[in-house]
Amino acid sequence: MAVSMQDVKRRMRSVTSMEHITNAMKLVSAAKLRRAKATFEKSNEQFHFITQSIAEIFNNTTSIPERYLEGTREIKNTCYIVLTSSKGLCGGFNSNVIKEAEKLIEEHSDDSCIVSIGTKGRDYFAKNGINIIADYPDPSETISFLATQKMSRPIIEQYDKGEIDEVILVYTSYLSTLDQQVKSVRLLPFNPETDPNVIKNEKEIEYEPSMEEVFNYLVPKYVETMLYSAIVESATCEHAARRMAMENATDNAREMLGELELNYNRARQTAITNQLIEIVSGSEAQK
Amino acid sequence: MANTIKLEIITPSRLFYRGDIEMIIVPTLFGEEGFMANHSWATKLLDVGEMAVQEPGSQGFKIAAIAGGFIDVKDSIVVYADHAEWQEELDKKRAEADKVAAEEWLAQNRDSDKMDVRRAEVMLKKAISRMRVADGGRRAGR
Repeated sequence: MAVSMQDVKRRMRSVTSMEHITNAMKLVSAAKLRRAKATFEKSNEQFHFITQSIAEIFNNTTSIPERYLEGTREIKNTCYIVLTSSKGLCGGFNSNVIKEAEKLIEEHSDDSCIVSIGTKGRDYFAKNGINIIADYPDPSETISFLATQKMSRPIIEQYDKGEIDEVILVYTSYLSTLDQQVKSVRLLPFNPETDPNVIKNEKEIEYEPSMEEVFNYLVPKYVETMLYSAIVESATCEHAARRMAMENATDNAREMLGELELNYNRARQTAITNQLIEIVSGSEAQK
Repeated sequence: MANTIKLEIITPSRLFYRGDIEMIIVPTLFGEEGFMANHSWATKLLDVGEMAVQEPGSQGFKIAAIAGGFIDVKDSIVVYADHAEWQEELDKKRAEADKVAAEEWLAQNRDSDKMDVRRAEVMLKKAISRMRVADGGRRAGR
């Protein structure tokens, strides 16, 4: 065996310390995941009512302000809101989101711009020369509802002005601790027909102060709530993905340690055998 | 016993209230309005002000301060508020401090950015409504 004992020992030391680090990171992410999941489940339950209620209102009226409806203007500029993390070491979490966003951008060859939440997405798209109109580097679990309001306001303003014609949210949706899936959702404009989950009602609804004003209030609110719940969900996914990645890393490190241990023992045994041969042959020669 | 209707009050931070009620009174943009079971369907925007909920079998109202939002009345009622606090949760001293802070800011920055002035005015309105609710609200004497 050609490996020297010292080399193997050195590698073992470095793998052991790596294993300590990944294991610690796994525990930290597990704790963060628990907290994020609690927030997510709570907000998911509530926001369900809000989005449901807003969607119902949209579907049951005939006179939504035209600019929010699909087909009222040509879609030239699409704005993608991309939710990534600001920290790495979370497996395929960021690259999955980026891949999905890139696929969408390529499919629509028109002008695209990006609102990036999390630095990983920003860095990638900046390098590829895609116009980034806003970026928020804060880690997603620290973003409050108020901050979300501030994020969505400029997007809606630009939409109203006609600078962007479509808003698509790309984020990771949480299925279970082991399974997350990238999703893209169109926030604006609406297409009331495509949502089969919402029951159509024929009853007359009273609006106050006026339908127009109710919608002017509800549309931004809808975008805000959707964005906020996506941020909360994405934060949960980030921690789940990181926990998985770190668990795999820890397992790999342990496996590697086992192999190295074997190599080390073999090298030691070889050295002992060599020494024995030397002693025996030395004493034989003296006879 | 009067008819009851299911009510859900939601704020960004929590599910504020869920249960069957007899009547809810909310501050719409055109003044206070009460909703009971079998009301015609409506969607109305809400102003900053006080909200009162009457639970079945009780004479009095549960009072809360809310900070704008909307009410969606169908076979059940959903209220969305940007912020809401029950009367007993309110900290009157903090509301007073907020009021003073908003007033001072307004006095000094009268001619700054329009959005900022409006935001401060809303702050002031919220603080005043919270103080009023903390004192027992408009229905205090009843």
